[in-house]
Amino acid sequence: MFSLILMWMLVGCGVLGLVTVLYFAWRGVPQRAIDDVVYFLYPVDSALLAALLDPATDHDLRWSLGPRHFREAQRRRMRVFGELLRRMAHNSRVLVEFGNALSLDDSFEPGFGSKLHEAAANVCVYCTGARLRLRVWLSLPGGFGLLRTPGLADLRKAADVDGVKAYDELRTAAAEAFARLRPDELDALTRGL
Amino acid sequence: MTLLLWSIPHWLLAVLLCLMLRNRAYKACPWFFAYVGFGVAADVARLVTHNHPHPYFATYWITEAGYDVLGILVMYELIRMVLRNLIRTWWGRLIFPAALLVGALLSGARAHAAPPQFSGILYYIVVGEIAVRCVQVLVFVVTVAIVLIFGLRWRQYPFGIATGFGLYSVIALLMTMKFSDFGTSFKFLWGRTLIVAYSFAVLIWIWFFSAPQKPDPELPALTPEAWKEYQAMLDQYLKFLRRFR
Repeated sequence: MFSLILMWMLVGCGVLGLVTVLYFAWRGVPQRAIDDVVYFLYPVDSALLAALLDPATDHDLRWSLGPRHFREAQRRRMRVFGELLRRMAHNSRVLVEFGNALSLDDSFEPGFGSKLHEAAANVCVYCTGARLRLRVWLSLPGGFGLLRTPGLADLRKAADVDGVKAYDELRTAAAEAFARLRPDELDALTRGL
Repeated sequence: MTLLLWSIPHWLLAVLLCLMLRNRAYKACPWFFAYVGFGVAADVARLVTHNHPHPYFATYWITEAGYDVLGILVMYELIRMVLRNLIRTWWGRLIFPAALLVGALLSGARAHAAPPQFSGILYYIVVGEIAVRCVQVLVFVVTVAIVLIFGLRWRQYPFGIATGFGLYSVIALLMTMKFSDFGTSFKFLWGRTLIVAYSFAVLIWIWFFSAPQKPDPELPALTPEAWKEYQAMLDQYLKFLRRFR
């Protein structure tokens, strides 16, 4: 009986997947132009990101502030880091759309073969993992009175992905993608900015 | 009429094989190419032995086992292509073994609850086939989730392969479950539905493989000067955006 329920659940998931594919086919691909995409990027301050994830800063704050003040300071830093994560996730998605816009023609694009897609996927995975942990930490307001206040440096790696490294790779991949544009497209992009 | 319906997927598979050869798709998806090639060869072998019961019986079950093995190898290839980057992480490497394990467990449990009417090696081939269908549905669901999460475009070879297998496996599993409920009176509809589903799956593959996939262009190595230039350009954009907001 249990196996039958699981099998039906699997078939149900498959049917949902097929419905999604049909929806994609019906909706078509959004025809994004380059200037549609670049305006939607949110700046991520690398120095701030590095400072937030620096174990030395965690250590200094823990030593220089009392437990209560450290807890408050750490929660503020967590919220700032959460905002940076939100921006990183958003930018990775925008850059994937940018990658798609670069290859809008009749032939099939390389997709995951491109560095931009791979770097964006890594950032997306990191942001999801880190945001989950951050949400758990922030949802324990009184818990930190009993538990040791966690250090933000622990979030440098989430879902086995190094966040700072992944975002740097995304930047590099984006720079290379910009370089792929023809001079007139690059001009259009600069003018659009 | 029955023979015509029965032969439709074979002709479609032959067309797919020609398309893959023309577009050199065997370089991008070698195991899928092997699967299609094997499919065409298996169909020819079944057709040749059609009027000889014993050779046909042996050919049928040997080719079914071959489909099972190649079906799993294609799924491995798909997961590797789609999750190429994530496979570097420890949990990314677990996705395929986990799908295999879930498929095997589900098929084993199903065989325990409603045992197939076969014995010996045939029993294992049938159980293996259901496990492969489960793995194919799981891999299809994972690829749909990836497209949704990462905002990718659907028109890529791996997603096309996953969609074809997903469609056929969902219908095959559904039919198999209903077959065990209704018994042999359902056999006629079961056989025809599977042929139609497989034909649709091959049509999906034909559509995806009808155009060549662009190779990822090889970029010349960046010189330090060019790298600084790109970095400056990117910083300029970011500065502008900061002011813009």
